[in-house]
Amino acid sequence: MTHGSAVRNAWAPAVATGWTVTVVQPTPAETAVALNVDGLDDVALVAASVEGRREAFDVIVERHRRTVYQVCYRFVGNHEDASDLSQESFVRAWKGLKSFQGQSLLSTWLYRITVNVCLNRVSAKAAPTDPLESIDHFEDTRTEGAQSTLLREERAATVRRAIAALPRKQRATLILRTYHDLSHQQIADILGSSVGATKANFFHALANLKKLLGSKP
Amino acid sequence: MTHLTSDELVDALDGELAAGRRAHLDACEPCLRQLAELTGVLGETRAVDVPEPSPLYWQHLSARVRMAIDAEPAAAGRWSQWLRWPVLAPIAGLALLVMTVTLAVPRPPVAPPDIALSAETETTQDDDRFAIVADLLGDLDWDTAMSAGLTIEPGAAEQALLELTASEQQELTRLLRAELTRAKS
Repeated sequence: MTHGSAVRNAWAPAVATGWTVTVVQPTPAETAVALNVDGLDDVALVAASVEGRREAFDVIVERHRRTVYQVCYRFVGNHEDASDLSQESFVRAWKGLKSFQGQSLLSTWLYRITVNVCLNRVSAKAAPTDPLESIDHFEDTRTEGAQSTLLREERAATVRRAIAALPRKQRATLILRTYHDLSHQQIADILGSSVGATKANFFHALANLKKLLGSKP
Repeated sequence: MTHLTSDELVDALDGELAAGRRAHLDACEPCLRQLAELTGVLGETRAVDVPEPSPLYWQHLSARVRMAIDAEPAAAGRWSQWLRWPVLAPIAGLALLVMTVTLAVPRPPVAPPDIALSAETETTQDDDRFAIVADLLGDLDWDTAMSAGLTIEPGAAEQALLELTASEQQELTRLLRAELTRAKS
């Protein structure tokens, strides 16, 4: 049963009493207004945002904020800077929404913006990384479990600092490849480089990490 | 045969090394050692998570983004925000209300016509009244209008429109169309 026939059937009693019922198909614009933006896909959300519907962009932020934040955090290694960079990435996305042609996924487009924001803002030298989590709750350091947890946290902090110390393009390549499973081609598109350059950056990132981590067991 | 290049080592990490080079890798101790070292570093790197922020942080980030966007000086965006019917209708209604109030204000009794009163003097009186109203309303912002009771009741705009003459309605239509066309261009 089509939507139109269902509506006609629903109004059948009224017709029987002599009313005249006209079923009018809503225009696409009216339909979009009536829809809850939560149910829209990314392309429709972008279109709605371009039309000035801020609630649509709110949904885009909600869907992608974790990924954007994680990219930023991997870049700078601390929460405060990652938070600022995430905000700036979304503001740039908002301002550039009209240029999004839908030729790539919205997520890929956001990766590109986020990485560019990070590359522009982050200096080549290592950014301050978050200190280790408070170890107050590791009171009983004599237990093997607590000690191994503490060691694992220390090692993780060391790795984050080492990543933050990598040259920027190597850092971007390593982050996108290792943590976000992007292909070398996707990374090349995002960074505006070739697949060969991306592979070389990935190799040198790992080689540099090995040196940095090798001296800090 | 030459050792694996950096590209080929990355291919080997991805499990995409060409068969011919795979044969070299299997037989080459230095290449195998280098690949094992890279694999170890990659594994250790992958194991490091981003510390999860507070659950409240995500709402906080969304709010920050919203405020930052609101603070953006997007001139074009602001025009498009104003040129929407939900915004234009109350403004048009307020304008019509002001016109209606202006026309409905009882005029002071006019002195018996002086023989010397000319049409020019009458026009000057109208201009003066309009100047007074314009002076009073010139700096009137929305909040002041609201506090003064110049609020738009539901249906007030439609009522004001209905009270316009046919020629006034045509003129209003023409002005609104011209404004929308100008905004689109």
